[in-house]
Amino acid sequence: MDASLFTVQPASPEPIYRQIVEQLRRLIAGGQLGAGDALPSVREVAGFHAINPMTVSRAYGLAEAEGLLERLRGRGMVVAATGRNVQTQAQRLTLLEPSLLMLARQTRELELPADAVLRRLARMLES
Amino acid sequence: MNAMPDPSCHTAVPPLAVRDLVHCYEGSNVLTGVNLVLQPGSVLGLIGRNGAGKSTLIRAMLGLLQPLSGTATVFGEPALKLGDASKARLAYVPQQPEALAWLTARQMLDFVGRFYPRWDQGFADRTLERWQIPPNKLLARLSPGERQRVDLIRALASQPELLVLDEPAAALDPVARRELLREIALRAGESGTTVLFSTHIVSDLERVASDVAFLHQGRLLMHCTIDETKERYGRLWLPERIHYAAPTQSLSRRRHDDGSLSLVVERDANGAWPEAANLPGARVDALGLEDLFVEIAE
Repeated sequence: MDASLFTVQPASPEPIYRQIVEQLRRLIAGGQLGAGDALPSVREVAGFHAINPMTVSRAYGLAEAEGLLERLRGRGMVVAATGRNVQTQAQRLTLLEPSLLMLARQTRELELPADAVLRRLARMLES
Repeated sequence: MNAMPDPSCHTAVPPLAVRDLVHCYEGSNVLTGVNLVLQPGSVLGLIGRNGAGKSTLIRAMLGLLQPLSGTATVFGEPALKLGDASKARLAYVPQQPEALAWLTARQMLDFVGRFYPRWDQGFADRTLERWQIPPNKLLARLSPGERQRVDLIRALASQPELLVLDEPAAALDPVARRELLREIALRAGESGTTVLFSTHIVSDLERVASDVAFLHQGRLLMHCTIDETKERYGRLWLPERIHYAAPTQSLSRRRHDDGSLSLVVERDANGAWPEAANLPGARVDALGLEDLFVEIAE
């Protein structure tokens, strides 16, 4: 894996370190990155995207704390062996957070009552 | 102080610091009490509109102009009486470099290289070629952009501990600009170089800066880490029927033609937006740095 794995949008309201963590989460959840795969080094990512290395370190550190990545001696950061399967429900739920926030916002904008939206959503989830 | 100081000795001393800086030109205030401290290894992006006083602030920070009042220190020394040892540790690229115009680019780089203990001649030669500078033309004959590029090469080749760039982006095409940003980012990360640069291209700043400071009408409106800026501030929009609920504290406040209201608001210590954000009809938008800047500088 090299640094082109990530896309960085500096102008986005989302801080770059979060963009990277978010992409890691999706790449791992989606299977594009598998257990043991080595991540590009902080230097490579920072150099490729011309971003501050501290930003990359922060993203990797956060992903490590979440159990997505682990630091192996001599190999740097790799995708954690257990990363994919043992994601807790709470962790998987956080992946939905942006979509849920958007839904909440549009619900308010349309001035729809919450229970109507929730009923509809429940039906969609059941089908 | 030694000629070649061990950088680890200086970790506690901020490379740049100013206190209560006030300055004016011909009666109009340019700086009206600026306080700013640069931590070692940080990359501070200074943004502000044209005429906000960015260049004046930079020059005062480096002791290149004497402010009306206030103090400036560089590596802990008074900026106005900076010793040669400290000068060798910093590099400054003004917007319009004028020094040594009677030399060619190559002669100038060969000449100044002797004064810097860590001069990287290889970098100077390579970059001169990559940035397409005619090496044997007199500096006086180069375009202002080429002139600034030569000065950027001079500054980077000296491998300074403190790098100060005034609007470096103006002189560079997008490819060279990206190269400059890469240099800044990697040097800050690996050599611990402290960087101060002013720019009006906000996306450049968002890539490499660790901190951002907004200079507006002679004062600093905001100085915090770049991630914090994005996470802590947002735009609260209130339709006319609830605009009475607008919080009294906000960084900016704009009334639209339809009676609705836009405010730049801040999360509290618990990460919550002001209460008005929870009212039906209200909404909070995350802001990129450019939007945030436009909102509060207008």
